[in-house]
Amino acid sequence: MANPVKRWFQSFFLLEMLRGMRLTGRYFFARKFTVQYPEETTPQSPRFRGLHALRRYENGEERCIACKLCEAVCPALAITIESEERSDGTRRTSRYDIDLSKCIFCGLCEESCPVDSIVESRVLSYHAETRSELLYDKIRLLGNGDRLEGELARDRQADSSYR
Amino acid sequence: MLFFAQIVAMFVTLLVLLGIAGFLVFAERRVLGLLQNRLGPNRLGPLGVGQALADALKLLCKEDFVPPFASGLLYRTAPILVAFSALAGFAVLPLAPGISWAGDWEIGLLLILALSSLHVYGVFLGGWSSNNKFALYGAIRAVAQLISYELPMGLALLALVLLAGSLALQGLGAAGQPVPLIVYQPLGFLIFFIAGIAETQRLPFDLAEAESELVAGYHTEYGGMRFGYFFLGEYLGLVLIAALISLLYLGAWSGPWLPGWLWMLLKTGFVIGIFFWLRASLPRPRYDQLLHWGWNALLPLAILNLLLTAIAAALWGTL
Amino acid sequence: MPEISNFTMNFGPQHPSAHGVLRLVLELDGEVIERADPHIGLLHRATEKLAEHKTFLQNLPYMDRLDYVSMMCNEHAYCRAVEGLLGIEIPQRAQYIRTLFDEITRVLNHLLWLGAYALDVGAMSVFLYCFREREDLMDVYEAVSGARMHAAYYRPGGVYRDLPAQMPQYEASPYRDAKRLEELNANRGGSVLDFIEDFTRRFPGYVDEYETLLTDNRIWKQRTVGIGVVAPERAIALGFTGPMLRASGVAWDLRRTQPYAAYADLDFEIPLGKEGDCYDRYLVRVAEMRESNKIIAQCVDWLRKNPGPVMVDDYKVAPPPREEMKTSMEALIHHFKLFSEGMIVPAGEIYAAVEAPKGEFGIYLLSDGANKPYRMKIRAPGFSHLAAMDEMAKGHMIADVVAILATMDIVFGEIDR
Repeated sequence: MANPVKRWFQSFFLLEMLRGMRLTGRYFFARKFTVQYPEETTPQSPRFRGLHALRRYENGEERCIACKLCEAVCPALAITIESEERSDGTRRTSRYDIDLSKCIFCGLCEESCPVDSIVESRVLSYHAETRSELLYDKIRLLGNGDRLEGELARDRQADSSYR
Repeated sequence: MLFFAQIVAMFVTLLVLLGIAGFLVFAERRVLGLLQNRLGPNRLGPLGVGQALADALKLLCKEDFVPPFASGLLYRTAPILVAFSALAGFAVLPLAPGISWAGDWEIGLLLILALSSLHVYGVFLGGWSSNNKFALYGAIRAVAQLISYELPMGLALLALVLLAGSLALQGLGAAGQPVPLIVYQPLGFLIFFIAGIAETQRLPFDLAEAESELVAGYHTEYGGMRFGYFFLGEYLGLVLIAALISLLYLGAWSGPWLPGWLWMLLKTGFVIGIFFWLRASLPRPRYDQLLHWGWNALLPLAILNLLLTAIAAALWGTL
Repeated sequence: MPEISNFTMNFGPQHPSAHGVLRLVLELDGEVIERADPHIGLLHRATEKLAEHKTFLQNLPYMDRLDYVSMMCNEHAYCRAVEGLLGIEIPQRAQYIRTLFDEITRVLNHLLWLGAYALDVGAMSVFLYCFREREDLMDVYEAVSGARMHAAYYRPGGVYRDLPAQMPQYEASPYRDAKRLEELNANRGGSVLDFIEDFTRRFPGYVDEYETLLTDNRIWKQRTVGIGVVAPERAIALGFTGPMLRASGVAWDLRRTQPYAAYADLDFEIPLGKEGDCYDRYLVRVAEMRESNKIIAQCVDWLRKNPGPVMVDDYKVAPPPREEMKTSMEALIHHFKLFSEGMIVPAGEIYAAVEAPKGEFGIYLLSDGANKPYRMKIRAPGFSHLAAMDEMAKGHMIADVVAILATMDIVFGEIDR
């Protein structure tokens, strides 16, 4: 007896729709979830795979020894390396290009590097106004490394027990 | 001299209305965002209000094109019809007992109903002249929806007119003075509310421009300021319906302390807020289900409402 | 006598609801559909051909990008295929981590599906509420692998690295005062497992919210009940799998019928539908979200209690830890061989399938003993589902096409590969 009446009541007064509206209404007054970029950022972990950088040792010597593992493992064939003997007899790259328009930011290059030279930093926002600017050559990559070394070292240190 | 002052005043009213429509576009985005657990546009200007100006400027600066495959004259006329039918309704809307452009014109309500019928022409021509299948679908849906919901709307208003005894909007507003007419016409209020949403093509009744089904429905092929006219017409229609609801059912300009016209504006704003709220919460019915509601649910209810009002008026007299 | 012909409309590649790039040619009689003809291939990226030219490790990031809303499940199928051919057993902890992330992926997928479905039908707010939950889960993805979406986390032999003991925190900003910062970081104080556990506690409340807005809503029911009905025998004949099949009443779930990873040890239900219409598929997927939540909680519990290795010990398959690689000669050689030549997989063929959120995602791998696959065939669930589009959409209206397309959970990455 009560059930058909209750059902009619619910149906005529659109009660379930009002319940839905109450939910959205509650959200009107609740704290919003928006992260206001660029003043605020979302959290990033030390494993974050962002823009690439070439690191150096503490004494300033570049780490990369042109073993070409990163070039071999890159699935997108984004890395191009040419190597030469340097004037002091060591093995170094004469050309190290990462084509960011091909890179898929998978992190395999970082994993494969035996000397922790090529790494992915936390930088996620970079831009280029021409296609050629997206080809990061050795000088720019080393520059990235120099600029971000503190953060890069801290992140590798934080993650060291898992690697 | 007085005539000249009136012309200037009408022009100012027009500008104010356009400004309100522009502001409403922004307000909708902001309120919708807040309901959806995000901030709407909040970067431009204080609280983001500059967004309205930016949007208006953007539409004005866009290229003015007429697609070569569209019928030129109809394509150009459609937005004008839509915008005109929305704007002209404001001529008879009273903000307060003395404030109204048309004065105490005897058939103000009838004019508004007639203008909403003109709106149908604008929408249909827009879709048909675009020579685009999606636009045609949108136009057909829009026409069917608009015509179907004009009937319950008219009938609900008829019950009101029966009670108040006048078609003039001033008179109807005055009839709601001590006690808002929603108390006497709860069913009528519900019917008019739903039919009003359908008339202005807002969610849940926005199939004609269903963004996820027909891209943009009848205004797919419009860009720049022509699209701006459609937009204007839609939002001004929204304000018109909200103003009508607050005028007819929610007690018009009654309320303590504040002046009458301010109450009128506040109530209109409140009703518009409810419209935004509905947009954020409800899904969209299918086209034939929509028409089914209009003809099989709202129309009999509206007739019932009219009948009951007539019986009550015969027994206990009108207002 | 004028000739009446059907209206042919292009529900084109550029459409807000075409769920990717689908060219659906509709023949319409008024608004009723006489024929629906999907034209696919606009997202074809030659994944299977490329796979023949890349080593087994290099193929892994391609798997992420197939069904790009349920990333780790695709990786799982691939890793199972390679491990099957190699004949290795991965550590138990890695199995549980894979199960955990499979279920997290299932929740991610269903949240996106629900949001997109509601948006197509008109309820815009559900989309944004669902994405807020996805944010938390993508933070988990990022903490564990470094990328929010395409993780490349599973490797043949286990998983890439163990779960970190620290969760990334929100930083201070002009819009966040100290109190707000504390609120935001409240559930990020511990390890990833703590964060996931907190998520499992909050999630049922959120699912209740979505249900409040949709399940009982008469407009939603009118849009979905009775639309796209598929009978159980027909569903099996058409090759449906996953929630599409279960909503028609067929109790077939690979996690139960052919258990893999840690599913055999976990306690969960398989939701079944009755009618096989869009509403049932919606209910089945929402119920699956709740079940996944339970599974995630159980996995977190187990993982807390059982530390251990997450990668197989065999250096011919998995790279050695870096410290060992820098000190031991054999480890260094293995590292070099693995990253340049890749692992050698013995000749053979295998078909490995997982219960991806969309259905049965399978990889057929044929190896000839080299370091690259000889042939890799991807069995995508969406392909069979989309093929049934014509049958499901006949007699319905345009608005129903949108609902049916959304209910099939179509993602073009896997259909076109």
